[in-house]
Amino acid sequence: MTDLILLLIKASVIYGGLLGCAALMTLAERKVSAWMQYRIGPNRVGPFGLLQPLADGVKFIFKEDVTPDGANPWMFRLAPLMAAVPAMMTVAVVPFAGDVTLFGYDFGPLSIADLDIGILFVLAIGGLGVYGVILGGWASNSKYSLLGGLRASAQMISYELSLILIVLSIVAMTGSLDLREIVAAQTGTFLGVLPDWNVFQQPVAFVLFVIATFAETNRLPFDFAECEPELVGGFHTEYSSMKFALFFLGEYCAMIVMACLTTVLFLGGAEVPYWADAPWFLQLPAFMVKAGFFCFLFIWVRWTLPRFRFDQLMHLGWKVFLPVALVNLFLTGLLISF
Amino acid sequence: MADLLFYLMAALATVAGVGVVVARSPVISVVSLLASFGALAVIYLLAGYQFLAAIQILVYGGAVMVLFLFTVMLLNLGDPDVTSGQTEPLFHGSRRSLIGLCTATVMGAAGLVAVLRVAWNEMPSVLAIPEGGLDPLDQLAAQMFTRYSLPFEAASVLLLATAVGVLVIAKRNRPGEKAFPSRAVAAEAAPTAPAAPQPASKPLPEPGPEPEEVLS
Repeated sequence: MTDLILLLIKASVIYGGLLGCAALMTLAERKVSAWMQYRIGPNRVGPFGLLQPLADGVKFIFKEDVTPDGANPWMFRLAPLMAAVPAMMTVAVVPFAGDVTLFGYDFGPLSIADLDIGILFVLAIGGLGVYGVILGGWASNSKYSLLGGLRASAQMISYELSLILIVLSIVAMTGSLDLREIVAAQTGTFLGVLPDWNVFQQPVAFVLFVIATFAETNRLPFDFAECEPELVGGFHTEYSSMKFALFFLGEYCAMIVMACLTTVLFLGGAEVPYWADAPWFLQLPAFMVKAGFFCFLFIWVRWTLPRFRFDQLMHLGWKVFLPVALVNLFLTGLLISF
Repeated sequence: MADLLFYLMAALATVAGVGVVVARSPVISVVSLLASFGALAVIYLLAGYQFLAAIQILVYGGAVMVLFLFTVMLLNLGDPDVTSGQTEPLFHGSRRSLIGLCTATVMGAAGLVAVLRVAWNEMPSVLAIPEGGLDPLDQLAAQMFTRYSLPFEAASVLLLATAVGVLVIAKRNRPGEKAFPSRAVAAEAAPTAPAAPQPASKPLPEPGPEPEEVLS
Protein backbone atom coordinates (compact mmCIF):
# COMPACT_ATOMS: atom_id res chain seq x y z
CA MET A 1 0.00 0.00 0.00
CA THR A 2 2.81 2.42 0.80
CA ASP A 3 4.29 1.55 -2.58
CA LEU A 4 1.09 2.60 -4.28
CA ILE A 5 0.93 5.87 -2.37
CA LEU A 6 4.59 6.52 -3.15
CA LEU A 7 3.93 5.85 -6.82
CA LEU A 8 0.95 8.20 -6.81
CA ILE A 9 3.01 10.95 -5.19
CA LYS A 10 5.81 10.53 -7.71
CA ALA A 11 3.39 10.37 -10.64
CA SER A 12 1.59 13.54 -9.58
CA VAL A 13 4.86 15.41 -9.01
CA ILE A 14 6.37 14.34 -12.33
CA TYR A 15 3.22 14.84 -14.38
CA GLY A 16 2.57 18.16 -12.71
CA GLY A 17 6.10 19.16 -13.59
CA LEU A 18 5.70 17.96 -17.17
CA LEU A 19 2.45 19.82 -17.77
CA GLY A 20 3.83 22.91 -16.06
CA CYS A 21 6.91 22.77 -18.26
CA ALA A 22 4.76 22.27 -21.37
CA ALA A 23 2.76 25.37 -20.43
CA LEU A 24 5.94 27.31 -19.82
CA MET A 25 7.30 26.12 -23.17
CA THR A 26 4.41 27.78 -24.99
CA LEU A 27 5.24 31.01 -23.22
CA ALA A 28 8.96 30.57 -23.83
CA GLU A 29 8.26 30.00 -27.51
CA ARG A 30 6.49 33.33 -27.79
CA LYS A 31 8.97 35.19 -25.62
CA VAL A 32 12.08 33.87 -27.36
CA SER A 33 10.61 34.46 -30.80
CA ALA A 34 9.75 38.00 -29.72
CA TRP A 35 13.28 38.67 -28.52
CA MET A 36 14.73 37.25 -31.71
CA GLN A 37 12.52 39.55 -33.76
CA TYR A 38 13.17 42.61 -31.60
CA ARG A 39 9.73 42.57 -30.04
CA ILE A 40 8.66 42.27 -26.42
CA GLY A 41 6.22 39.37 -26.48
CA PRO A 42 3.36 38.69 -24.07
CA ASN A 43 3.84 40.77 -20.91
CA ARG A 44 0.31 41.72 -19.81
CA VAL A 45 -0.85 38.68 -17.87
CA GLY A 46 1.08 38.33 -14.64
CA PRO A 47 4.70 39.39 -14.06
CA PHE A 48 6.70 39.09 -17.32
CA GLY A 49 3.62 37.46 -18.88
CA LEU A 50 4.17 34.36 -16.74
CA LEU A 51 0.44 33.69 -16.37
CA GLN A 52 -0.13 33.86 -20.13
CA PRO A 53 -0.37 30.01 -20.51
CA LEU A 54 -3.09 29.99 -17.86
CA ALA A 55 -5.03 32.65 -19.73
CA ASP A 56 -4.58 30.70 -22.96
CA GLY A 57 -5.86 27.55 -21.29
CA VAL A 58 -8.98 29.31 -20.01
CA LYS A 59 -9.52 30.77 -23.47
CA PHE A 60 -9.26 27.31 -25.05
CA ILE A 61 -11.82 25.87 -22.66
CA PHE A 62 -14.37 28.55 -23.46
CA LYS A 63 -13.91 28.46 -27.23
CA GLU A 64 -16.61 26.89 -29.35
CA ASP A 65 -15.93 23.24 -30.13
CA VAL A 66 -16.61 22.73 -33.84
CA THR A 67 -16.88 19.35 -35.53
CA PRO A 68 -16.81 19.73 -39.31
CA ASP A 69 -19.64 18.36 -41.43
CA GLY A 70 -18.94 14.85 -42.70
CA ALA A 71 -16.15 14.25 -40.24
CA ASN A 72 -15.99 10.85 -38.57
CA PRO A 73 -17.01 11.84 -35.02
CA TRP A 74 -15.25 9.05 -33.12
CA MET A 75 -11.98 9.28 -34.98
CA PHE A 76 -12.20 13.05 -34.76
CA ARG A 77 -12.35 12.74 -30.97
CA LEU A 78 -9.78 9.99 -30.74
CA ALA A 79 -7.08 11.80 -32.70
CA PRO A 80 -6.20 14.57 -30.19
CA LEU A 81 -6.04 11.96 -27.43
CA MET A 82 -3.72 9.80 -29.51
CA ALA A 83 -1.52 12.83 -30.02
CA ALA A 84 -1.31 13.86 -26.38
CA VAL A 85 -1.45 10.65 -24.34
CA PRO A 86 1.55 8.72 -25.79
CA ALA A 87 3.79 11.77 -25.44
CA MET A 88 2.80 12.08 -21.78
CA MET A 89 3.13 8.36 -21.09
CA THR A 90 6.75 8.19 -22.21
CA VAL A 91 7.89 10.50 -19.45
CA ALA A 92 7.10 7.75 -16.94
CA VAL A 93 10.45 6.00 -17.43
CA VAL A 94 12.74 9.03 -17.59
CA PRO A 95 15.12 8.97 -14.60
CA PHE A 96 15.16 12.59 -13.44
CA ALA A 97 17.45 12.08 -10.43
CA GLY A 98 18.84 9.48 -8.10
CA ASP A 99 17.42 8.48 -4.71
CA VAL A 100 15.35 11.22 -3.18
CA THR A 101 15.46 11.73 0.59
CA LEU A 102 13.15 14.36 1.91
CA PHE A 103 12.31 15.02 5.59
CA GLY A 104 14.34 11.94 6.47
CA TYR A 105 12.20 9.66 4.32
CA ASP A 106 13.64 7.73 1.38
CA PHE A 107 11.36 8.11 -1.64
CA GLY A 108 13.54 6.04 -3.96
CA PRO A 109 14.74 7.19 -7.37
CA LEU A 110 12.90 10.10 -8.99
CA SER A 111 11.14 8.33 -11.85
CA ILE A 112 7.71 6.78 -12.00
CA ALA A 113 8.71 3.39 -13.37
CA ASP A 114 12.12 1.77 -13.62
CA LEU A 115 11.67 -0.60 -16.54
CA ASP A 116 14.31 -3.01 -17.81
CA ILE A 117 13.21 -2.07 -21.30
CA GLY A 118 12.92 1.66 -20.63
CA ILE A 119 14.27 2.91 -23.93
CA LEU A 120 12.10 0.46 -25.87
CA PHE A 121 9.08 1.70 -23.93
CA VAL A 122 9.83 5.28 -24.90
CA LEU A 123 10.28 4.39 -28.56
CA ALA A 124 7.25 2.09 -28.69
CA ILE A 125 4.78 4.38 -26.94
CA GLY A 126 6.25 7.53 -28.47
CA GLY A 127 5.82 5.97 -31.91
CA LEU A 128 2.05 5.80 -31.32
CA GLY A 129 1.90 9.60 -31.40
CA VAL A 130 1.85 9.46 -35.18
CA TYR A 131 -1.73 8.14 -35.06
CA GLY A 132 -2.93 11.42 -33.62
CA VAL A 133 -1.59 13.25 -36.63
CA ILE A 134 -2.70 10.81 -39.31
CA LEU A 135 -6.15 10.13 -37.82
CA GLY A 136 -6.71 13.81 -37.15
CA GLY A 137 -5.93 14.52 -40.78
CA TRP A 138 -8.20 11.79 -42.03
CA ALA A 139 -11.15 12.33 -39.69
CA SER A 140 -11.41 16.05 -40.45
CA ASN A 141 -12.80 15.33 -43.93
CA SER A 142 -10.70 18.12 -45.41
CA LYS A 143 -8.07 17.78 -48.09
CA TYR A 144 -5.58 20.09 -46.42
CA SER A 145 -5.83 18.14 -43.20
CA LEU A 146 -5.44 14.83 -45.00
CA LEU A 147 -2.37 16.02 -46.90
CA GLY A 148 -0.85 17.39 -43.69
CA GLY A 149 -1.55 14.16 -41.84
CA LEU A 150 -0.08 12.01 -44.59
CA ARG A 151 3.03 14.13 -44.88
CA ALA A 152 3.58 14.19 -41.16
CA SER A 153 3.17 10.46 -40.76
CA ALA A 154 5.49 9.73 -43.70
CA GLN A 155 8.05 11.97 -42.08
CA MET A 156 7.62 10.49 -38.62
CA ILE A 157 7.97 6.86 -39.70
CA SER A 158 10.96 7.74 -41.88
CA TYR A 159 12.86 9.40 -39.09
CA GLU A 160 11.77 6.96 -36.43
CA LEU A 161 13.84 4.34 -38.21
CA SER A 162 17.01 6.41 -38.05
CA LEU A 163 16.20 7.35 -34.47
CA ILE A 164 15.95 3.70 -33.45
CA LEU A 165 19.19 2.81 -35.23
CA ILE A 166 21.00 5.63 -33.43
CA VAL A 167 19.59 4.56 -30.09
CA LEU A 168 20.67 1.02 -30.91
CA SER A 169 24.32 2.06 -31.11
CA ILE A 170 24.05 3.58 -27.63
CA VAL A 171 22.29 0.46 -26.37
CA ALA A 172 25.02 -1.70 -27.90
CA MET A 173 27.68 0.34 -26.07
CA THR A 174 25.89 0.07 -22.75
CA GLY A 175 24.56 -3.44 -23.18
CA SER A 176 21.26 -2.51 -21.55
CA LEU A 177 17.88 -1.09 -22.48
CA ASP A 178 17.43 0.32 -18.99
CA LEU A 179 17.66 4.12 -19.02
CA ARG A 180 19.08 4.10 -15.50
CA GLU A 181 21.89 1.80 -16.56
CA ILE A 182 22.58 3.89 -19.64
CA VAL A 183 23.00 6.87 -17.31
CA ALA A 184 25.15 4.87 -14.91
CA ALA A 185 27.45 3.82 -17.77
CA GLN A 186 28.25 7.47 -18.44
CA THR A 187 29.86 8.30 -15.09
CA GLY A 188 33.60 8.88 -14.86
CA THR A 189 35.86 10.65 -17.31
CA PHE A 190 36.69 10.19 -20.97
CA LEU A 191 40.27 10.81 -22.17
CA GLY A 192 41.14 12.04 -18.69
CA VAL A 193 39.38 15.41 -18.79
CA LEU A 194 35.94 15.23 -20.37
CA PRO A 195 32.99 13.66 -18.57
CA ASP A 196 32.37 10.15 -19.90
CA TRP A 197 29.21 11.16 -21.78
CA ASN A 198 28.05 9.53 -24.96
CA VAL A 199 28.10 12.89 -26.72
CA PHE A 200 31.91 12.68 -26.74
CA GLN A 201 32.05 8.99 -27.54
CA GLN A 202 29.34 9.05 -30.23
CA PRO A 203 29.43 12.57 -31.71
CA VAL A 204 27.95 11.47 -35.05
CA ALA A 205 25.11 9.68 -33.34
CA PHE A 206 24.47 12.74 -31.19
CA VAL A 207 24.16 15.11 -34.14
CA LEU A 208 21.92 12.68 -36.03
CA PHE A 209 19.77 12.09 -32.97
CA VAL A 210 19.18 15.77 -32.29
CA ILE A 211 18.23 16.45 -35.91
CA ALA A 212 16.01 13.37 -36.01
CA THR A 213 14.16 14.53 -32.88
CA PHE A 214 13.25 17.72 -34.74
CA ALA A 215 11.75 15.66 -37.54
CA GLU A 216 10.09 13.30 -35.10
CA THR A 217 8.36 16.10 -33.19
CA ASN A 218 7.33 17.91 -36.41
CA ARG A 219 9.23 21.05 -35.56
CA LEU A 220 10.65 23.57 -37.93
CA PRO A 221 12.70 23.14 -40.16
CA PHE A 222 10.66 19.96 -40.63
CA ASP A 223 7.13 21.08 -39.73
CA PHE A 224 5.39 19.72 -42.80
CA ALA A 225 2.48 18.65 -40.68
CA GLU A 226 1.42 22.27 -40.39
CA CYS A 227 3.24 24.13 -43.10
CA GLU A 228 0.93 27.17 -42.98
CA PRO A 229 1.64 28.64 -46.44
CA GLU A 230 0.76 25.40 -48.22
CA LEU A 231 -1.72 23.53 -46.05
CA VAL A 232 -3.53 26.24 -44.06
CA GLY A 233 -2.79 24.52 -40.76
CA GLY A 234 -2.20 20.92 -41.73
CA PHE A 235 -3.80 18.12 -39.77
CA HIS A 236 -5.29 20.42 -37.13
CA THR A 237 -6.90 22.88 -39.52
CA GLU A 238 -10.40 21.77 -38.54
CA TYR A 239 -9.76 21.46 -34.83
CA SER A 240 -10.79 24.05 -32.31
CA SER A 241 -11.12 24.58 -28.58
CA MET A 242 -9.67 21.96 -26.22
CA LYS A 243 -9.12 19.41 -29.00
CA PHE A 244 -6.72 21.81 -30.65
CA ALA A 245 -5.15 22.49 -27.26
CA LEU A 246 -4.58 18.75 -26.82
CA PHE A 247 -2.66 18.59 -30.10
CA PHE A 248 -0.57 21.50 -28.90
CA LEU A 249 -0.03 19.90 -25.52
CA GLY A 250 1.05 16.66 -27.18
CA GLU A 251 3.52 18.51 -29.37
CA TYR A 252 5.14 20.31 -26.45
CA CYS A 253 5.17 17.21 -24.26
CA ALA A 254 6.84 15.29 -27.09
CA MET A 255 9.44 18.02 -27.31
CA ILE A 256 10.14 17.89 -23.59
CA VAL A 257 10.36 14.10 -23.63
CA MET A 258 12.75 14.18 -26.57
CA ALA A 259 14.90 16.75 -24.76
CA CYS A 260 14.92 14.49 -21.68
CA LEU A 261 15.81 11.48 -23.83
CA THR A 262 18.69 13.30 -25.50
CA THR A 263 19.94 14.25 -22.05
CA VAL A 264 19.69 10.69 -20.78
CA LEU A 265 21.27 9.07 -23.83
CA PHE A 266 24.03 11.53 -24.60
CA LEU A 267 24.62 13.91 -21.70
CA GLY A 268 24.78 11.54 -18.76
CA GLY A 269 21.22 12.17 -17.57
CA ALA A 270 21.10 13.57 -14.07
CA GLU A 271 24.84 13.23 -13.50
CA VAL A 272 26.63 16.28 -12.17
CA PRO A 273 29.92 16.43 -14.10
CA TYR A 274 32.92 15.03 -12.16
CA TRP A 275 30.73 14.23 -9.15
CA ALA A 276 29.24 10.78 -9.51
CA ASP A 277 27.31 10.62 -6.21
CA ALA A 278 25.93 14.12 -6.00
CA PRO A 279 22.77 14.43 -3.88
CA TRP A 280 19.45 14.49 -5.71
CA PHE A 281 18.81 18.17 -5.15
CA LEU A 282 21.89 18.87 -7.28
CA GLN A 283 21.16 16.13 -9.79
CA LEU A 284 17.68 17.39 -10.58
CA PRO A 285 18.84 20.93 -11.49
CA ALA A 286 21.67 19.39 -13.53
CA PHE A 287 19.12 17.35 -15.47
CA MET A 288 16.86 20.35 -15.92
CA VAL A 289 19.69 22.53 -17.20
CA LYS A 290 20.69 19.92 -19.76
CA ALA A 291 17.14 19.15 -20.89
CA GLY A 292 16.27 22.84 -20.77
CA PHE A 293 19.05 23.56 -23.22
CA PHE A 294 17.54 21.15 -25.74
CA CYS A 295 14.09 22.64 -25.19
CA PHE A 296 15.60 26.03 -25.91
CA LEU A 297 17.31 24.57 -28.97
CA PHE A 298 13.91 23.54 -30.34
CA ILE A 299 12.70 27.14 -30.08
CA TRP A 300 15.99 28.65 -31.22
CA VAL A 301 16.09 26.58 -34.40
CA ARG A 302 12.43 27.19 -35.14
CA TRP A 303 12.84 30.95 -35.28
CA THR A 304 16.19 30.83 -37.09
CA LEU A 305 16.00 28.31 -39.93
CA PRO A 306 13.65 28.28 -42.93
CA ARG A 307 11.52 25.24 -43.77
CA PHE A 308 12.83 22.37 -45.90
CA ARG A 309 11.13 21.15 -49.03
CA PHE A 310 9.35 17.83 -48.57
CA ASP A 311 11.48 15.91 -51.07
CA GLN A 312 14.61 17.31 -49.44
CA LEU A 313 13.35 16.04 -46.11
CA MET A 314 12.72 12.54 -47.46
CA HIS A 315 16.08 12.58 -49.24
CA LEU A 316 17.81 13.54 -46.01
CA GLY A 317 15.98 10.88 -44.03
CA TRP A 318 16.39 7.90 -46.32
CA LYS A 319 19.59 8.62 -48.24
CA VAL A 320 21.68 10.37 -45.59
CA PHE A 321 20.45 9.60 -42.09
CA LEU A 322 19.68 5.94 -42.54
CA PRO A 323 23.02 4.97 -44.15
CA VAL A 324 25.04 7.08 -41.72
CA ALA A 325 23.16 5.61 -38.75
CA LEU A 326 23.74 2.10 -40.11
CA VAL A 327 27.46 2.72 -40.62
CA ASN A 328 27.67 4.24 -37.16
CA LEU A 329 26.01 1.16 -35.68
CA PHE A 330 28.36 -1.09 -37.63
CA LEU A 331 31.45 0.82 -36.45
CA THR A 332 30.16 0.76 -32.87
CA GLY A 333 29.77 -3.00 -33.16
CA LEU A 334 33.34 -3.31 -34.48
CA LEU A 335 34.69 -1.16 -31.65
CA ILE A 336 32.87 -3.23 -29.06
CA SER A 337 34.09 -6.55 -30.42
CA PHE A 338 37.79 -5.54 -30.66
CA MET B 1 -6.22 -7.92 -10.21
CA ALA B 2 -4.07 -9.55 -12.88
CA ASP B 3 -6.88 -11.98 -13.74
CA LEU B 4 -9.37 -9.17 -14.08
CA LEU B 5 -6.99 -7.27 -16.34
CA PHE B 6 -6.46 -10.38 -18.42
CA TYR B 7 -10.18 -10.91 -19.00
CA LEU B 8 -10.64 -7.24 -19.75
CA MET B 9 -7.86 -7.25 -22.31
CA ALA B 10 -8.94 -10.56 -23.82
CA ALA B 11 -12.43 -9.15 -24.27
CA LEU B 12 -11.04 -5.98 -25.80
CA ALA B 13 -8.84 -7.96 -28.18
CA THR B 14 -11.81 -10.07 -29.28
CA VAL B 15 -14.20 -7.16 -29.70
CA ALA B 16 -11.58 -5.18 -31.59
CA GLY B 17 -10.85 -8.23 -33.74
CA VAL B 18 -14.52 -8.48 -34.68
CA GLY B 19 -14.46 -4.75 -35.33
CA VAL B 20 -11.68 -5.22 -37.90
CA VAL B 21 -13.94 -7.46 -39.96
CA VAL B 22 -17.22 -5.69 -39.42
CA ALA B 23 -16.14 -2.06 -39.89
CA ARG B 24 -17.12 -0.62 -43.25
CA SER B 25 -14.34 1.92 -43.42
CA PRO B 26 -10.83 0.48 -43.85
CA VAL B 27 -9.45 3.19 -41.58
CA ILE B 28 -11.71 2.07 -38.73
CA SER B 29 -10.58 -1.50 -39.40
CA VAL B 30 -6.97 -0.47 -39.02
CA VAL B 31 -7.69 1.38 -35.78
CA SER B 32 -9.56 -1.66 -34.42
CA LEU B 33 -6.61 -3.85 -35.29
CA LEU B 34 -4.38 -1.41 -33.45
CA ALA B 35 -6.58 -1.67 -30.35
CA SER B 36 -6.45 -5.44 -30.63
CA PHE B 37 -2.64 -5.36 -30.82
CA GLY B 38 -2.52 -3.08 -27.80
CA ALA B 39 -4.66 -5.49 -25.78
CA LEU B 40 -2.41 -8.37 -26.88
CA ALA B 41 0.64 -6.43 -25.72
CA VAL B 42 -0.88 -6.07 -22.27
CA ILE B 43 -1.57 -9.81 -22.21
CA TYR B 44 2.09 -10.45 -23.12
CA LEU B 45 3.09 -8.19 -20.22
CA LEU B 46 0.82 -10.10 -17.85
CA ALA B 47 2.39 -13.34 -19.03
CA GLY B 48 5.84 -11.95 -18.24
CA TYR B 49 7.14 -11.24 -21.72
CA GLN B 50 8.16 -7.61 -21.42
CA PHE B 51 10.36 -7.41 -24.46
CA LEU B 52 7.76 -9.06 -26.65
CA ALA B 53 5.12 -6.62 -25.42
CA ALA B 54 7.31 -3.63 -26.25
CA ILE B 55 8.16 -5.05 -29.67
CA GLN B 56 4.49 -5.75 -30.30
CA ILE B 57 3.70 -2.07 -29.81
CA LEU B 58 6.85 -0.81 -31.53
CA VAL B 59 6.73 -2.96 -34.64
CA TYR B 60 3.07 -3.80 -35.11
CA GLY B 61 1.54 -0.74 -33.50
CA GLY B 62 4.10 1.87 -34.45
CA ALA B 63 5.36 0.68 -37.83
CA VAL B 64 3.20 -1.93 -39.54
CA MET B 65 -0.16 -0.37 -38.69
CA VAL B 66 0.99 3.10 -39.70
CA LEU B 67 2.05 1.63 -43.01
CA PHE B 68 -1.37 -0.02 -43.35
CA LEU B 69 -3.13 3.23 -42.59
CA PHE B 70 -0.92 4.99 -45.06
CA THR B 71 -1.61 2.51 -47.81
CA VAL B 72 -5.34 2.62 -47.14
CA MET B 73 -5.34 6.39 -47.36
CA LEU B 74 -3.07 6.72 -50.40
CA LEU B 75 -4.83 4.03 -52.41
CA ASN B 76 -8.23 5.32 -51.29
CA LEU B 77 -9.59 1.78 -51.20
CA GLY B 78 -13.30 2.31 -51.58
CA ASP B 79 -13.81 4.22 -48.38
CA PRO B 80 -17.61 4.38 -48.20
CA ASP B 81 -18.72 7.96 -48.40
CA VAL B 82 -20.65 8.82 -45.28
CA THR B 83 -22.35 11.83 -46.82
CA SER B 84 -23.67 10.12 -49.95
CA GLY B 85 -25.38 7.38 -47.96
CA GLN B 86 -24.08 4.84 -50.40
CA THR B 87 -23.31 1.59 -48.62
CA GLU B 88 -22.69 -1.86 -49.94
CA PRO B 89 -23.73 -5.04 -48.13
CA LEU B 90 -21.11 -6.50 -45.84
CA PHE B 91 -21.04 -9.96 -47.37
CA HIS B 92 -21.52 -9.52 -51.06
CA GLY B 93 -20.53 -12.13 -53.58
CA SER B 94 -20.83 -15.75 -52.47
CA ARG B 95 -17.32 -16.69 -53.59
CA ARG B 96 -15.65 -14.01 -51.55
CA SER B 97 -17.55 -14.87 -48.40
CA LEU B 98 -16.87 -18.57 -48.97
CA ILE B 99 -13.12 -17.97 -49.16
CA GLY B 100 -13.33 -15.77 -46.09
CA LEU B 101 -15.33 -18.37 -44.19
CA CYS B 102 -12.85 -21.14 -45.08
CA THR B 103 -9.87 -19.05 -44.04
CA ALA B 104 -11.54 -18.08 -40.78
CA THR B 105 -12.44 -21.70 -40.01
CA VAL B 106 -8.90 -22.96 -40.67
CA MET B 107 -7.35 -20.18 -38.59
CA GLY B 108 -9.85 -20.71 -35.78
CA ALA B 109 -9.20 -24.45 -35.77
CA ALA B 110 -5.44 -23.88 -35.71
CA GLY B 111 -5.83 -21.49 -32.79
CA LEU B 112 -8.06 -23.93 -30.92
CA VAL B 113 -5.58 -26.77 -31.39
CA ALA B 114 -2.77 -24.55 -30.13
CA VAL B 115 -4.78 -23.57 -27.05
CA LEU B 116 -5.82 -27.15 -26.29
CA ARG B 117 -2.26 -28.41 -26.53
CA VAL B 118 -1.00 -26.07 -23.82
CA ALA B 119 -0.43 -27.78 -20.48
CA TRP B 120 -2.39 -25.27 -18.41
CA ASN B 121 -1.48 -26.72 -15.03
CA GLU B 122 2.20 -26.24 -15.80
CA MET B 123 1.81 -22.57 -16.65
CA PRO B 124 3.61 -20.29 -14.21
CA SER B 125 1.35 -17.99 -12.24
CA VAL B 126 1.61 -14.25 -12.70
CA LEU B 127 3.28 -13.89 -9.33
CA ALA B 128 6.06 -16.33 -10.27
CA ILE B 129 7.43 -14.10 -13.04
CA PRO B 130 11.07 -13.24 -12.41
CA GLU B 131 12.20 -9.63 -12.13
CA GLY B 132 13.50 -9.27 -15.69
CA GLY B 133 10.55 -11.02 -17.29
CA LEU B 134 10.58 -14.38 -19.00
CA ASP B 135 12.33 -13.18 -22.11
CA PRO B 136 15.79 -11.85 -21.26
CA LEU B 137 17.20 -10.13 -24.33
CA ASP B 138 20.41 -12.14 -24.58
CA GLN B 139 18.61 -15.48 -24.63
CA LEU B 140 16.07 -14.26 -27.14
CA ALA B 141 18.80 -12.86 -29.40
CA ALA B 142 20.85 -16.05 -29.15
CA GLN B 143 17.84 -18.13 -30.19
CA MET B 144 16.82 -15.79 -32.96
CA PHE B 145 20.20 -15.50 -34.62
CA THR B 146 21.17 -19.16 -34.37
CA ARG B 147 18.33 -21.61 -34.33
CA TYR B 148 15.63 -19.43 -35.86
CA SER B 149 17.70 -17.28 -38.20
CA LEU B 150 16.33 -18.91 -41.35
CA PRO B 151 12.61 -18.55 -40.46
CA PHE B 152 13.35 -15.02 -39.29
CA GLU B 153 14.90 -14.01 -42.60
CA ALA B 154 12.22 -15.88 -44.55
CA ALA B 155 9.52 -13.97 -42.71
CA SER B 156 11.11 -10.66 -43.63
CA VAL B 157 11.26 -11.65 -47.31
CA LEU B 158 7.62 -12.72 -47.10
CA LEU B 159 6.62 -9.37 -45.63
CA LEU B 160 8.43 -7.52 -48.39
CA ALA B 161 6.78 -9.67 -51.05
CA THR B 162 3.38 -8.98 -49.50
CA ALA B 163 3.96 -5.25 -49.51
CA VAL B 164 4.97 -5.28 -53.18
CA GLY B 165 2.04 -7.57 -54.05
CA VAL B 166 -0.50 -5.31 -52.38
CA LEU B 167 0.81 -2.35 -54.32
CA VAL B 168 0.58 -4.21 -57.63
CA ILE B 169 -2.94 -5.55 -57.02
CA ALA B 170 -4.34 -2.29 -55.73
CA LYS B 171 -2.84 -0.25 -58.57
CA ARG B 172 -4.17 -2.48 -61.34
CA ASN B 173 -7.86 -2.23 -60.60
CA ARG B 174 -8.20 1.52 -60.44
CA PRO B 175 -10.50 2.79 -63.15
CA GLY B 176 -9.61 5.87 -65.14
CA GLU B 177 -5.91 5.52 -64.62
CA LYS B 178 -3.03 4.28 -66.69
CA ALA B 179 -1.48 0.89 -66.03
CA PHE B 180 1.73 2.56 -64.97
CA PRO B 181 1.44 5.17 -62.28
CA SER B 182 1.90 8.65 -63.57
CA ARG B 183 4.73 10.77 -62.33
CA ALA B 184 2.57 12.64 -59.89
CA VAL B 185 1.19 9.46 -58.34
CA ALA B 186 4.65 7.95 -58.16
CA ALA B 187 5.97 11.00 -56.37
CA GLU B 188 3.03 10.87 -53.99
CA ALA B 189 3.63 7.21 -53.25
CA ALA B 190 7.37 7.69 -52.85
CA PRO B 191 7.36 7.98 -49.04
CA THR B 192 5.74 4.56 -48.72
CA ALA B 193 7.95 2.79 -51.19
CA PRO B 194 11.21 2.94 -49.21
CA ALA B 195 9.30 2.09 -46.06
CA ALA B 196 8.45 -1.33 -47.43
CA PRO B 197 11.76 -3.07 -46.57
CA GLN B 198 11.46 -1.67 -43.05
CA PRO B 199 10.65 -4.99 -41.34
CA ALA B 200 13.66 -6.58 -42.98
CA SER B 201 16.16 -4.11 -41.58
CA LYS B 202 14.76 -4.21 -38.08
CA PRO B 203 15.16 -7.20 -35.77
CA LEU B 204 11.58 -8.33 -35.88
CA PRO B 205 11.01 -11.22 -33.52
CA GLU B 206 8.39 -13.74 -34.38
CA PRO B 207 5.70 -13.71 -31.72
CA GLY B 208 5.61 -17.44 -32.25
CA PRO B 209 7.72 -20.14 -30.74
CA GLU B 210 10.81 -18.48 -29.18
CA PRO B 211 9.32 -17.57 -25.81
CA GLU B 212 8.41 -21.17 -25.18
CA GLU B 213 11.94 -22.13 -26.03
CA VAL B 214 13.19 -19.69 -23.44
CA LEU B 215 10.81 -21.16 -20.95
CA SER B 216 12.00 -24.73 -21.30
